[in-house]
Amino acid sequence: MKHFLVLTLGLILLAAVPAVAHHSFAAEYDSNNLITLTGVISKVEWTNPHIYFYIDVKDESGKVATWSIEGYPPNTLKRTGFVKSDLKIGDTVTVTAYKAKDASNSGAGREVTFADGTKKFAGPEGR
Amino acid sequence: MKTRFAGVVASALALALAVAVISVPSSAQDENNGKGKAKGKGGQKGPSGPVVHKPVPRTPDGKPDLTGTWQSGGVSLTGEAGAPPLHPLPPIDNHPITRQALAYKPEFEAKRKGLTTLDDPTLYCLLPGVPRIQTNPMPLEILETPKEVAILYEAFRAWRRIPINDKLEHPDDLVPTWMGDSVGRWEGDTFVVDTIGFNDKTWIGGVGSIHSEQMHVVERYTLNDDGSMTWEATVEDPVALTKPYKTGAVFRTPIDVRVEEYECIENNPDPGHMKKAAEMGK
Repeated sequence: MKHFLVLTLGLILLAAVPAVAHHSFAAEYDSNNLITLTGVISKVEWTNPHIYFYIDVKDESGKVATWSIEGYPPNTLKRTGFVKSDLKIGDTVTVTAYKAKDASNSGAGREVTFADGTKKFAGPEGR
Repeated sequence: MKTRFAGVVASALALALAVAVISVPSSAQDENNGKGKAKGKGGQKGPSGPVVHKPVPRTPDGKPDLTGTWQSGGVSLTGEAGAPPLHPLPPIDNHPITRQALAYKPEFEAKRKGLTTLDDPTLYCLLPGVPRIQTNPMPLEILETPKEVAILYEAFRAWRRIPINDKLEHPDDLVPTWMGDSVGRWEGDTFVVDTIGFNDKTWIGGVGSIHSEQMHVVERYTLNDDGSMTWEATVEDPVALTKPYKTGAVFRTPIDVRVEEYECIENNPDPGHMKKAAEMGK
């Protein structure tokens, strides 16, 4: 029981920590709008403070729209096992992402599923 | 976590819970990913079991040796569903941190009202200042010599030189800067760092946590015998605050992690996106 109390206290502390590494999540992305996109990688920007990759997503009518997906910084991703060479132009991936609040075709990447079923962490859970 | 422990006997689960509890003080400083862990999706892999206690490393002159790579949190250490940590942390004891909330004088309270994350200097890749930079979820490296301690931060490519000076005297020609001017001295086995000379452009920690150029930060770095380091900071500002602000973190040495380049201004469209979202009233 003591462990549970300590853990609960720890979780309260977690909730109270307000800062972020570089920018606020909530000001840019909608935590309540986690979307799933499947598309072909068309461009990769393995840059700081965030990586971006672009996927061409075809809708039901066959119309193609390009989506920009933001991820964590390169060093952080590398340390979670996600490296630049994982994103190959022309590959099809499925991405879960929190949609941008500015109505653009962009989102904060949560998880990338590659053709072989491998899943890689792209960015934080929405806040 | 679920998969890993599926079918494992209850005693193993209890051990896992104990490890999770031990890891809380460190992950409480995790600015980015604490929530995932809080929901139980994370989980620490790698070294587990009892905490190993041993004498703290010392330099030839007998001082505790702070030299090494340290980090107080971050997803690369704590892991996430689908991405187990590659740089796990050995278990440590619980090291409570004394905290005291920010308390502003009325004129500063008024000044900071209305500030949003769009006003955050780090959004524009500007240096976070002290103490804020300490809890960034990226590693830092400490280099200790008998005369000076240096801290190299991955975050924002920041660095601090901390000359050792028993009187904690600062140069008398300081011009206000983002990271301030630091001097340090040993008080027993604790390295005490005194920093002044700040500009008034950084945030102490949290949205709108402004300060004046009179901000004075005292940090205490203490090695623990379980391989961790307790860092505590007290922030005084006679112009902006009514009482000292206290914060801190427990730092650990992530396995196989080194400080690498982080050139924040390389590709930073976030401010534009956030402004547009704000204009749209979202």
